[in-house]
Amino acid sequence: MSTAATVGDLVSQPYKYGFVTDIQTEKIAKGLSEDVVRLISAKKEEPSFLLDFRLKAYQQWLKMEEPDWAALGHPKIDYQEIIYYAAPKQKDKKASLDEVDPKLLETFEKLGIPLSEQKRLSNVAVDAVFDSVSIATTYKEKLAEHGVIFCSISEAVKEHAVLVERYLGTVVPTSDNYFAALNSAVFSDGSFVFIPKGVECPMELSTYFRINSADTGQFERTLIVAEEGASVSYLEGCTAPMFDTNQLHAAVVELVTLDDASIKYSTVQNWYAGDENGVGGIYNFVTKRGQCRGARSKISWTQVETGSAITWKYPSCVLQGADSVGEFYSVALTNHRQQADTGTKMIHLGPRTRSTIVSKGISAGHSSNSYRGLVQMGTKAIGAKNYSQCDSMLIGDRAAANTYPYIRSQQPDASVEHEASTCRISADQLFYLQSRGIGFEEAVSMMVSGFCRDVFNQLPMEFAAEADKLLALKLEGSVG
Amino acid sequence: MPLLSVESQLPWLAELAGAPLPNRREEAWRFTDLAPLRDLEPTLLPVVDPLGGVPLPKGVSRLDPAEWAPLLDASLVATGSEAAWPVGLNRAADPQVLALRVTGEADPLELAWDAGSAKGLAALRVLLVLEPGSSLDVLQVVNSSGANCTSLITEVLLAENARLNLGVLALGHGMASLLAHVAVKQEPGSALSCTTATAGWGLVRLEPRVMQSAGSAQTRLRGLQMVDGQQLADTHSFMSFGGPAGELDQVHKVVANGSGRSVFNGAVKVPQAAQQTNASQLSRSLLLSDRARVDTKPELEIVADDVKCAHGATVSQLQANELFYLQSRGIGADQAAHLLLRGYCDEVLRELPAMASAWHPLARLLGDGA
Amino acid sequence: MIRSDAPVLLEINDLCARVEDQPILKGVNLTIRSGEIHAVMGRNGSGKSTLSKVLAGHPAYTVTAGSVLYRGENLLELAPEQRARTGLFLGFQYPVEIAGVNNLEFLRVATNARRTEQGLDELDTFAFEDLVRERLGVVQMDPAFLERGLNEGFSGGEKKRNEILQMALLEPLVAILDETDSGLDIDALRIVAGGVNQLAGPDNATLLVTHYQRLLDLITPDYVHVMAAGRILRTGGKDLALELERDGYDWVDQELARLGAEPAEVG
Repeated sequence: MSTAATVGDLVSQPYKYGFVTDIQTEKIAKGLSEDVVRLISAKKEEPSFLLDFRLKAYQQWLKMEEPDWAALGHPKIDYQEIIYYAAPKQKDKKASLDEVDPKLLETFEKLGIPLSEQKRLSNVAVDAVFDSVSIATTYKEKLAEHGVIFCSISEAVKEHAVLVERYLGTVVPTSDNYFAALNSAVFSDGSFVFIPKGVECPMELSTYFRINSADTGQFERTLIVAEEGASVSYLEGCTAPMFDTNQLHAAVVELVTLDDASIKYSTVQNWYAGDENGVGGIYNFVTKRGQCRGARSKISWTQVETGSAITWKYPSCVLQGADSVGEFYSVALTNHRQQADTGTKMIHLGPRTRSTIVSKGISAGHSSNSYRGLVQMGTKAIGAKNYSQCDSMLIGDRAAANTYPYIRSQQPDASVEHEASTCRISADQLFYLQSRGIGFEEAVSMMVSGFCRDVFNQLPMEFAAEADKLLALKLEGSVG
Repeated sequence: MPLLSVESQLPWLAELAGAPLPNRREEAWRFTDLAPLRDLEPTLLPVVDPLGGVPLPKGVSRLDPAEWAPLLDASLVATGSEAAWPVGLNRAADPQVLALRVTGEADPLELAWDAGSAKGLAALRVLLVLEPGSSLDVLQVVNSSGANCTSLITEVLLAENARLNLGVLALGHGMASLLAHVAVKQEPGSALSCTTATAGWGLVRLEPRVMQSAGSAQTRLRGLQMVDGQQLADTHSFMSFGGPAGELDQVHKVVANGSGRSVFNGAVKVPQAAQQTNASQLSRSLLLSDRARVDTKPELEIVADDVKCAHGATVSQLQANELFYLQSRGIGADQAAHLLLRGYCDEVLRELPAMASAWHPLARLLGDGA
Repeated sequence: MIRSDAPVLLEINDLCARVEDQPILKGVNLTIRSGEIHAVMGRNGSGKSTLSKVLAGHPAYTVTAGSVLYRGENLLELAPEQRARTGLFLGFQYPVEIAGVNNLEFLRVATNARRTEQGLDELDTFAFEDLVRERLGVVQMDPAFLERGLNEGFSGGEKKRNEILQMALLEPLVAILDETDSGLDIDALRIVAGGVNQLAGPDNATLLVTHYQRLLDLITPDYVHVMAAGRILRTGGKDLALELERDGYDWVDQELARLGAEPAEVG
């Protein structure tokens, strides 16, 4: 029984977001220099604190070396061949959506993210980012009534400079790592969310990232701050056209929660992964970190990773406030020649901090799927607890599933527990489902989604079905 | 402190090994500070006969150099250890090789070394060649009570259907270091049980490395490492399956007290050829002091879909509910903790070959009259 | 219930099958009409379990010769799910556990696949829950099991009840129950047998594969077939089962020796 082969065939599904929008784009020349950093800052009419921030980051980046410890096999990236700023040509940021280039609206509509008043999602506010700039943000006024700020980071830099200056770079310092330094120097756009004290954000917030230009890097920057007692659920989605070159995506996301605040950050990542021979696709080198500064605060990461040629991503929580909580729920599906090196860091600093890690890796084809995690119990993390579970599902005998859970503890009254297992879709299980009338593809999809259930349950309602569909899509195709 | 940095001068061990000491920028040595080796007295210590004059047991015979020379290094190569720095050091010290052949059901063998309080480097090398169908229990006892470093390489070739129960009981001293490799190459049908227990050393680097050359063999690894004071113990284990249907059952335990540092890195590699592998690895650490530190890093790499691989890791204090249970039966808190600790350690120690009991490992490890 | 004019549901002709390189079925002949209950008995290794798996389309078995007609059509060219959708049901001897796949959801997907094949409307979650709750009564199963993973952590008896529940929902035309009695205590056996009796009717047929008489004390077969060495050696009425219970299988060896056949080793 060639279960492996047939299941493997199922995972080969054409990427349906691979179209390119034909739109006039304003690009700056290729390459990176101090002048380029200044140019980006000038184009965005930024205050001087931000230019200083960028220049400092650039200087640090120059002194750093690209990390290779994740053992990701990829050709050397030529940072002088990348365009660091590309924006669709349009006049100043539009006052109303009606003035936005219809091609852009159409693009997002094709991606399932309608932005116009009539069609937009009823209880989700969306910030749409196209290449380097934010195109539109829906429901801004409604959110403003509750004191919630949701806008592009470029806009925030102008309108809410004090807040941005107070928090930017405080969770992920410019010198944190090579890609964070690069991002800090050249970031173009991204989202800014601020939930004031005591406010429960009245709707889901969502940013949708679209890379369109072939040789452009996307360096978005997201900053979410929840003040005392505030809470928000945020979702990030992303796609890119199919090119046979690789594009670099090096984002930085910073989250801050004060006392009793909570942020739930969900990602459904579907960048273009390259073809079955590994040609093209996005290099996704992302730094995501949340800091639970306040007591009893909570940060929860949920990610569904299906795209990208290479993923290098460890959404992390620094649990500083007493009794704060960090969570990481992840599904990573790799196929063909994809490489994913993903996981989390839970840094327990405060007493009685708690963290939970649930990671589900599915590897098919010739892909490589690694979980890399760190759970650290600091000397003051008295009574802290972590529980981690990392499961791998292997489809076929040429895919790799690696698990590197690293634990460090310096506090005897803290407990860390890690469990990991591997499984596969067995021929017997498939036959059982088939003998109940369930088709092969559906049977595989049911089992994969059963495997991922613990994670999907964490997604906001509106997106859980979406994620299930996305995996099903990746698993759809002809039965071999 | 002299103004002139001593860094510019290579430590004697580096000079001897012909390579600088591994530094902490290397992933395999990230947590392991080799500072104690820098100031080692530049002396090669003579090694006393590990058999202590006792004749070889039934079923065990010496191989002459013409016989062992072609077999030497085979297990180091198979397990990818030949380039490791401690192996290079041992080779450079050029110790006499104790090469033994095992046929049939051999009687138990005990090998004991004690570097004593002498200062310098003691290098030891053992090669065990188990013929098809043979079996052996062997206990290696390594002791030290002074500012010295013991470099021990044990190479094992397990032929088809051979069975080896190997125990390493290493009790050292705060000034003493131990660098030990156990490299085993297993043929199909063979069974290895390897149990190591270390305590008291200022520095221990222990590397049990096993290769099942064509799978279909059984490997059982048990480890216990205790650190206290300023001690550092580091176990880097490595297991690889060269063919299908191999089994691994690994449990590594740690007790970290005082300002001790414990490191465990457990690599398990299951390549495409190793279908039907059944591997489990459990790392359990007791962290008993808020000045101590435990670093644990399992590494599972799997490229085969029809396998069962599970691993787990825990780091914690003694279990509060277990303590409470004992206390609720009238046992004082301290005594309850001691009982639990004994039970925890004994689970590993009782798997040492039977003759280990003569060395009273539990009592010596826990420093009591148990 | 035997009616000679009842339509033939399943017709097995000279069926031969192997697993890997080992031939197991060596010419099985069997005809089942609607309304009938058949029992296939035999020792371990006689091929009776293989027969049920081959009929359900288990991929590990390869049919090497012979034919199987299901309602006059070639069963062997249908995918396992298509066999199920058209009303062939296999109750597994060892139902697999599938963690994470919700039992209720699984039952609904399976039921709707069958209904779609029958040209009926799919049931939505509410209508389906009503149906399940009604059918739970057939096997006296605790509704709590609906919320668990498919067979996940179920005891042997619970798994078998879940099998019969599936049968009650899918309303098969031909139900093949492979050693459904194994691993059941007497109470569970009664419940399971009661369920089977309740579901058996004039328009469907049941094929019981069993080792022991005790199931046949509760479900009365119209025909009893004795399998050995991959074929049906003898066919009789329900008394044949009692005869086997009394005299054992020794006569099978003599019969086989007479035929010069090797006993099959796997079944």
